[in-house]
Formats: sequence, C-alpha cells, structure tokens
Amino acid sequence: MEKSSTEKEGKIWAIGGGKGGTGKTFITSAIGTYIAGKGKRVVLIDVDIGGANLHSFLGINRPKKSLTDFFETGASLSKLAVKTGIDNMSLISGDIHSLASDSIKFTQKLKLFRHIMKLNKNYVIIDLGGGSHNNTIDTFLMADKRVVILEPEITSVENMYHFIKNALFRKLRMSLREYGFKEIVEQMWERRQEYKIKSLRELMDHIRDSFSYVGDIIDKELSDFKLYLILNKIRSSDDILIGSSMKSIFKKYLCVDTRFVGFVEYDDSVWRSIRERRPFMLNYSLSRSAKEVEVFTENLLNGKEIKLSRS
Amino acid sequence: MSRRNLKKHFEILELDSDASLPEIKNAYVRLKKLYSTDSMVMTPIADEFSKKKRLEVLKQIEEAHAKLSDELKDEHQRSANLGKPGIASGNGTEGEEAESVSFSGEVLRKIREKKGIHLYEVALDTKIRVEILENIEHERFDVLPQEVYLKGHVSNYARYLLLDPRKVADDYISRYKDWKGEAKEKD
Ligand SMILES: Nc1ncnc2c1ncn2[C@@H]1O[C@H](COP(=O)(O)OP(=O)(O)OP(=O)(O)O)[C@@H](O)[C@H]1O
Ligand SMILES: [Mg+2]
Repeated sequence: MEKSSTEKEGKIWAIGGGKGGTGKTFITSAIGTYIAGKGKRVVLIDVDIGGANLHSFLGINRPKKSLTDFFETGASLSKLAVKTGIDNMSLISGDIHSLASDSIKFTQKLKLFRHIMKLNKNYVIIDLGGGSHNNTIDTFLMADKRVVILEPEITSVENMYHFIKNALFRKLRMSLREYGFKEIVEQMWERRQEYKIKSLRELMDHIRDSFSYVGDIIDKELSDFKLYLILNKIRSSDDILIGSSMKSIFKKYLCVDTRFVGFVEYDDSVWRSIRERRPFMLNYSLSRSAKEVEVFTENLLNGKEIKLSRS
Repeated sequence: MSRRNLKKHFEILELDSDASLPEIKNAYVRLKKLYSTDSMVMTPIADEFSKKKRLEVLKQIEEAHAKLSDELKDEHQRSANLGKPGIASGNGTEGEEAESVSFSGEVLRKIREKKGIHLYEVALDTKIRVEILENIEHERFDVLPQEVYLKGHVSNYARYLLLDPRKVADDYISRYKDWKGEAKEKD
C-alpha cells in the first residue's frame, strides 16, 4: 500500500507508549541523530515530567534553560534550544515541575504547539516520558506522528493498552464535543453498568448503534488515529511476532490502524554509550542495533512498515 | 474474481492485496494462533475482549482464508507452471525440491522467501550479520569472509532453513571456488 504524502511530511513526532523504561528516550535520541545525519534540521524536545534525561543519551550536560521559561516568562522556543554537539540537531529541555501539575492549561498547551509548529526545523521529535497523564496524552494527540515504544514484556503490553485506550477515549470525547455532542461519551461511560459496556470498544459500538450520525464522526476519528509501533529490547526473533500481534489486536479490537515500523534488539552498547558520554548512533554506528534504528527511522520517514514476510 | 474484489478478505488477514498464496497461508496461521490462544498480548485485555468477540474474529479469519485460497489457487497454479529455474513448481514438497537443486545464493533466497522469513529473523537466530546474509544470497564473493568462515555461515543458514547443511555448503562453496578460479585467471 502506498502511503499518502501528508503522512510522509508529518513534521512533529511524539514518542510515547505508557510504561517507564521501555526506551523512549533512547529511541528519541537515536532517531534524531540519524535524521540529523541525513542533513535535516532536527530539534528534540524532552517533556518527560520530572525525569528529563534526554541530554545524557546525547552525552551533554543538563541544559540550564527549559520549557518552564516558555510558560513562565514567555521566552521564545528558539532561545531555549541548546546545541547537542551533533550537526543540525538541538535540544529543548523540559525539566519542568509545573508541567507535572495540572496548572498548565489546555490553552497554554495549544500555545506551545503553535510555537513548536513555527520552529524553523524539518523535524521536531518529542520525548513524552512514561505514564498516561493528561498532559502526556494531549501532547501525544497533537503530534503529526504518534510513535509508541513497546518492550516484549507483559507489563509493557498492559501499559500500552492503557495508554492507547486513554488517548483514544480523550480524542473521541474532544471531537464529539467539537461537533456539539457534548456529553454523549461521558454519559454513556458513566452509565456503562446499565448498558453492560465493559470496554472502550463496546462503548464505541454502543454510541454508534444509538446515534447513527455520530458513528460517522467516530469512524473518521478512528481512521485519523494512526499509530507507529517500535519494539525495543528484543532478545530473539520470536519477540518480533509480538509487534505483529499488537498491530492486529489494535485493529481488530480498537479499530486503530498501526504501522509496525521495526525493532531494536537488546544491546549493552546502549547503556555503555551513556557511560561513555557519546550518542549511541555515532559511537556504535556499525552495530546491528544501529542498523535496526536506521531501518525503522526510514520506515517512519516514508510511512512504510517492516516487511516480515518478504524481503 | 479479481484481486480488487477480494480487498475485504485481504484486510482481514492484514495483507496488501498483492500478497501471494504462501503469504496468505502464513498470515492465516499466525492470526488463528493469536486469537485462539492466551498469549502475552492477549491476557491484559482478556476481560474486555470477550471470548465471543474473539470467536467472531476467528470466524472472519477462517472465511477470508478459505475465500482467498480458493480464488487465488488458479492464479498460483498458472504462475507456478511458468517454472522458475532452480526451484520446482509449487506442487512438490520441500524435500523433493532440495534434492534436485544445486544451492546457489539465489536458490537460498527463494527458499527463504517462500517460507516467508525475513533476513532479520535469520540474523537474530543464527547470529550472522544481515549484511553477510545478504552478500551470501547475492553471491558477492569478493566481500564475503574467507572460505572456512563462509562455509560455517552457509551451513548455519542452511540448518536454519531446514535444509541439509552439508549439501548446501558443498554446493555453495563449489560456486565460490569457481569464482575464485576465474578471478585468479584474470590476474
Ligand atoms: N535496545 C536496548 N538495549 C539495551 N538497553 C536499552 C535499550 N534501550 C534502552 N535501554 C536501556 O534501558 C533503560 C531505559 O531506557 P530509556 O531511558 O530510553 O527508557 P524510557 O522509556 O525513556 O524511560 P522513562 O519512561 O523512565 O523515561 C536505559 O538504561 C537504557 O540504557
Ligand atoms: Mg525517558
């Protein structure tokens, strides 16, 4: 299947997926380094609440300025970006406690996104951090490309479902509200016992049955809600299958389309590079895992998937 | 029926509509297993994704597979009869093919593709680097490692494909030697 050109051009990528420690920050740094190496202008934004550590994957010190300055003093984003030592790539740190609280209003988030879109860069890659906090989900929803990182491990799988369901629920609620159906989702969800609704899927089906005109809106939202899945820390080829399985379940259960773009194996060089204070993609550029990063980054850029059944 | 009219069935099996019969078979086996067993990816949503829903999905998968293999059987037969060199027509078993064939890089690649295995999967399990595997398949002898190592890689790869490692390595190395002989003559 050839992908549409808008998909290819998506400029803002958000890297998330729920569970802590699956490799979101590592993958953000690796993707950024690779794309910058291709001569594109890249900025990485670390919005990990309280746990900003993207700089350590790049081998640089914690930036002194952060998004706090944007929210509190209105500093421009380009002033907050620091050099990373890698050509074409800068970093905006998000070491902000204020983002952790709910004190950041939706309008402020919209403002941040407006400014992000205006950055004179080819790609903006956002490291979301873990968890399913509303701020994290809103940022995820606003991005052009929604990338999720999964470890082949049950808690990671579980957290990812939770994250995706939350994101989808929020998206549906917001867009139905936009269309003037203010409370449908909330009301149905609150009375789910009565309607015997056990899951988001059943909720969607129920709304569709009760209000056929709303069904069209849901279908449109679902077709826009595309995911890009990367498996990290795999230890055998059997693990790769987990990616295809997740893709299938997202589709058949949540009606969400997923591109399974690739995987990285478990590789000790990842933490070794942090200790050596050198970006992994430069330090171990010839390793198999670096090649794997290149493969899925190309797939992300081109809106393609890994072909498991054919070469 | 043309492939376009079968789109819905291809979608159920999560395939592009130019997928081949072996790919259809692979997807069918994989999905059937996924929705009929309690795997790591299924347990966290076991409560929500009811048995009933899963049975519905399984039924669709069965139907799609039956329909597609039926409709595409003729097409497959035709292309198989055109007879690609090296590999026997799709009717024979793998064992039969293996005996009649001399194993070149090209033949190895075709066998792998027929089994629907990606080079990355081979690499992970055999611990042979993807580039080397690729060079083996393309017979880029000038960049491949020395004969002893090459022989080891080729037999490992053959074992992974469930072929006779000895026969494959012998065939392959004899092609390597031919190339080497020719290269020497040129000097
Ligand atoms: N492919 C890999 N092989 C080996 N180790 C890895 C790999 N990817 C990540 N790691 C290691 O796993 C740890 C967690 O990675 P990382 O910080 O990128 O995760 P994260 O998802 O950003 O975590 P958090 O949610 O806490 O922000 C790090 O110590 C990192 O070095
Ligand atoms: Mg992180």
